Amino acid sequence: MSEFLMFLTNGLVMGGINAISALGVSLVVGIMRVINFAHGEMYIFGGYLSYQLAVGAGIPPVLSMLCSVAAVFLGGLAIEKWLIRPTYGDEMYSLIITFILSIILQNAALLIFGPYPVKPPSLVFGATNIFGLFHYGNQRLLSLALAAGIIGAIMYLVRRTWFGKSVRAISQDREMAAMLGVDHLKVNMISFGLGCALAASAGAIIAPIFPVTPSGSGAVSLTAFVVVVLGGMGSLKGCIAGGVILGVLENLGAAYISTDYRHIFGFIILIGVLVLRPWGLFGKRI
Amino acid sequence: MKRAGLAGVFLIAILVPFFLNQYWLHVAIISLFYVMMASSWNLIAGYTGQVSFAHAAFAGVGAYTSGMLALYGGVHPALGIIAGTLLAGVLGLGLGGLCIRMGGIYLSLTTLGFSEILRIIITNEEQWTRGTMGLQIPGVFSVYSKTHYYFLFLAVTLAFLVLMRRLLNSDTGLAFRAVLNDELAASTSGIDTVRVRLMAFTSSSAMAGLAGGLYGHYLMLITPDIPSLGQMFLVLAMAVIGGMGSFAGPIIGAIALEFLSEYIRIYGEYHLLLFGLVALVIARFAPSGMVGLWEKIWRRR
Repeated sequence: MSEFLMFLTNGLVMGGINAISALGVSLVVGIMRVINFAHGEMYIFGGYLSYQLAVGAGIPPVLSMLCSVAAVFLGGLAIEKWLIRPTYGDEMYSLIITFILSIILQNAALLIFGPYPVKPPSLVFGATNIFGLFHYGNQRLLSLALAAGIIGAIMYLVRRTWFGKSVRAISQDREMAAMLGVDHLKVNMISFGLGCALAASAGAIIAPIFPVTPSGSGAVSLTAFVVVVLGGMGSLKGCIAGGVILGVLENLGAAYISTDYRHIFGFIILIGVLVLRPWGLFGKRI
Repeated sequence: MKRAGLAGVFLIAILVPFFLNQYWLHVAIISLFYVMMASSWNLIAGYTGQVSFAHAAFAGVGAYTSGMLALYGGVHPALGIIAGTLLAGVLGLGLGGLCIRMGGIYLSLTTLGFSEILRIIITNEEQWTRGTMGLQIPGVFSVYSKTHYYFLFLAVTLAFLVLMRRLLNSDTGLAFRAVLNDELAASTSGIDTVRVRLMAFTSSSAMAGLAGGLYGHYLMLITPDIPSLGQMFLVLAMAVIGGMGSFAGPIIGAIALEFLSEYIRIYGEYHLLLFGLVALVIARFAPSGMVGLWEKIWRRR
């Protein structure tokens, strides 16, 4: 029983990470109708940069995490401005360009960082006894808390701030919002940067627990996409529910069925959603 | 004039094996495989505007179906390749039927997922596929000869291109382009846009299965590299660099990139990075590729 609960908690931690990674995809899809296929690479860069800054440059771990997320955010702004903006209105080209970008970044990461998994230093040590049932690593608990904090911050940003109002206005009717004076190009750019930064923060938070490698980026992207389809394209609530569901199912599946096939559960869910409820849990029915 | 040009190309294609040594003949055969792959991918991406990331995966379906039938069932490769083509078509129909009505983004996501899953299954089911070690399968001919393979590939590629040309010049081809240019206008003039897209996706997937089956029996060693995303990227880069949405673009792109990659083989690890950068620059600044650039220069003169 306590073993089962531990796998469940593992799933919850992974679910939080899945949720912030998927929020990054969903935010961009909702506003720009663009899927960033280089999403997984942003996650990997988040983890690697935080490792390099902490171990290579000797910067305190918390600061190195923040710096790596900020760097990926700036990278995201540049990508939007130079590569995504010229494709507006042509969905196919944005898909092709971000796919090419993912191949470039993946190969660049292999050359720069090498193929070996890296693990940035943990922020906290030791373990806590959960309700007297099992011991659970503090770093994992901290990751869950950080993920929850980021989810809360994004929800606040979208629901309560001027930026969030512009985001919602644009995703409802871009032309109308632009006519009413919303600087839609700027909102696009910031949202895309934010999407990349969310992926990077997911990578930086999880890397001390599950090391990152350049070849792992495909699976990361795929997980985020499955969560977004499961939750409903463009729905932020859906990302949280979808992220946790997928995290729990993958962990239980890997524990009780097969570790090699961990990522297959996600694909089965994707097909199941497309068959039964293609608009997702919280999406709008088309 | 155009006819004379085509006849010239055909003549050169027939004479090629008598001038190339074994190594370059091998490169020519591989280029023909990529011509089939890039052209059939162009059929969906260039002509109906949908991006499938499972094209290499369908080639893998073709290669592994035919290879395993030949190895474990003693089925003749010719029959095996047909079986692989059909299976790729059926899988394409199934995947496409599930997600095409939800829009282009869904097709891209689902095909990416399918591609990853297929690679994971092939890598893990070692007792049947020998995983990353690769599976040794019999060839098409009882006596190995590169010249024979070259003519087989050339014949299939030509049949392939003629078939595609016919399809594109038919009413169906017109419907493809109508769907690409203006989906709303196409559907109001009575075109079932979902059906047209599904048809394009299914036939293109079947073509990838056929190309993959042939490729497997030529190499006689099939590995999970055939259905990998790296391979998918090469096919995409060939179509993008050559020129999507034009008939000649992917053909030129495939031959150019395959020969180029032989020249830069010594820089192995930079090879995908380099092609990626070139493809990115082309996609960003010249979306109609080399063919489009050439036409622009020609018109200016």
